[in-house]
Amino acid sequence: MDVSITGVGMTRFESDAQASTLELAERVAWDALEDAEIDSSAVESVHVGNMAAEALDSRTGLENAVCGALGIEGATADRIENTSASGASALLRAVDAIRAGRSRTALVVGVETMSSVDTDTATDVISSLTHDREYVQGLTLPSFAGLAADAYLERYDADREALAAVAVKNHRNATVNPYAQFQKEVTLDEALKSPPVAEPLRLYDCCPTSDGAAAVVLTADGDGEVQLSAIEGATGSHAVAERADPLEIESVALAGERAMARASISHEDVDVACIHDAFTILELLELEELGFYDNGQAWRATLDGRTDRGGELPVNPGGGLKARGHPLGATGVSQVIELVWQLRGDAPGEGRQLDDPDVGLAINVAGFGNNSICTIVKRA
Amino acid sequence: MNESREPTVESDDAGQAFRCTNCSSSWYYTRGRCLDCGSSSFETYRLGPGRVVATTTVHATPPGVRTPNHLGLVRFDDGVSLIAQLESSGVSVGESVGFGEIVTLREGDATSIGPQLTTE
Ligand SMILES: [Zn+2]
Repeated sequence: MDVSITGVGMTRFESDAQASTLELAERVAWDALEDAEIDSSAVESVHVGNMAAEALDSRTGLENAVCGALGIEGATADRIENTSASGASALLRAVDAIRAGRSRTALVVGVETMSSVDTDTATDVISSLTHDREYVQGLTLPSFAGLAADAYLERYDADREALAAVAVKNHRNATVNPYAQFQKEVTLDEALKSPPVAEPLRLYDCCPTSDGAAAVVLTADGDGEVQLSAIEGATGSHAVAERADPLEIESVALAGERAMARASISHEDVDVACIHDAFTILELLELEELGFYDNGQAWRATLDGRTDRGGELPVNPGGGLKARGHPLGATGVSQVIELVWQLRGDAPGEGRQLDDPDVGLAINVAGFGNNSICTIVKRA
Repeated sequence: MNESREPTVESDDAGQAFRCTNCSSSWYYTRGRCLDCGSSSFETYRLGPGRVVATTTVHATPPGVRTPNHLGLVRFDDGVSLIAQLESSGVSVGESVGFGEIVTLREGDATSIGPQLTTE
């Protein structure tokens, strides 16, 4: 069954939106319904992607609060938790609901408010996704990224410029994105000299914490301009060290392979990609795991400008997690919204529209590869 | 959710791995059954020296964890791999490390102690 994306809505991602999780969710839900030109009464299912509202904003039952706020009655609704891929997981459930005939109009809301707790609390909440034996060692997401970056630079004889080039590109893309948290350029030198976070990674190799929300409306057999052709997920190992190779993220490879097969496309068909760059090293690893570049080649492609907005494969034209921001549960939905904008030809921001893309791919990753969801959208 | 997680493994066992008494398969990351044969009968054993695959030094650490936190991804015999605290910085990829002194790994509601990896 065809699934159309008929409406999108998004807040600017910010370090402190000065709004509750529910307020952000409500705002983008209305925006998406307006964009789809439907009333809230038409919504038959609600799928809220959120990692930790109970811990970060003392909020449970978010899905029901959203329905109440929008006056949605009698819908099927729940909240989907898959850590930093909660947004794409919620989208996957919405597509399933439509394909199963349970819902003809689905509202997907991804949301997170991270500013209402202090950094220590936020760090502890996020690192609670690790295995117990990782947790006692004090491991955080940047720790895994630092180890992977160390292994990557060593194996492929690259230096930190290979990583910094990702940050520079994604910041440049975000300068003209009105929805981005950071709308400022970063030079290679600034990125290289920023304070170390998890060596070899520096501050500019890491995404920020953010508040934000993003919503889409999906319809069955819709005549929307954008079709959701495939959305596929795959789990990977929980304990990161159990991977045969530290540069392998099997969940990304598998989700990508499945989604491309289902959408009947090959790599050459993809005109734009949104990659889960929570750390610069992840953009490189995921591009390789997805098969866009051979192992050890993504950094060269990035340095050569081949993933720039004007390159052979524009990657993260909205700035990615790095510069657009990363409000956990909202990220996966915001990636797909960026693709929808690019495919519809109405990407907000001066000079941000790509040249006539037909096919877009997004990968949203939970934890450091515990679970990944790949979405492919096509212009109808 | 402000309280820290209580580890399910006795933390002074951080230098120990698990071995299935039925099929001899080994693993480090605690689980209730052997993934190779499904047996729930296993023993612990002390990990011998392993080889460093990658290192990092983390400067922003969670509450109760030392700053900076030196970490190593290390491979041991029997296919066991883990990420654990290195006693000090300056350990290189390819070096041999083993578990040494018992120290505090993470302070909190349930303080975790265990051995750190050292080149000794
Ligand atoms: Zn066994």
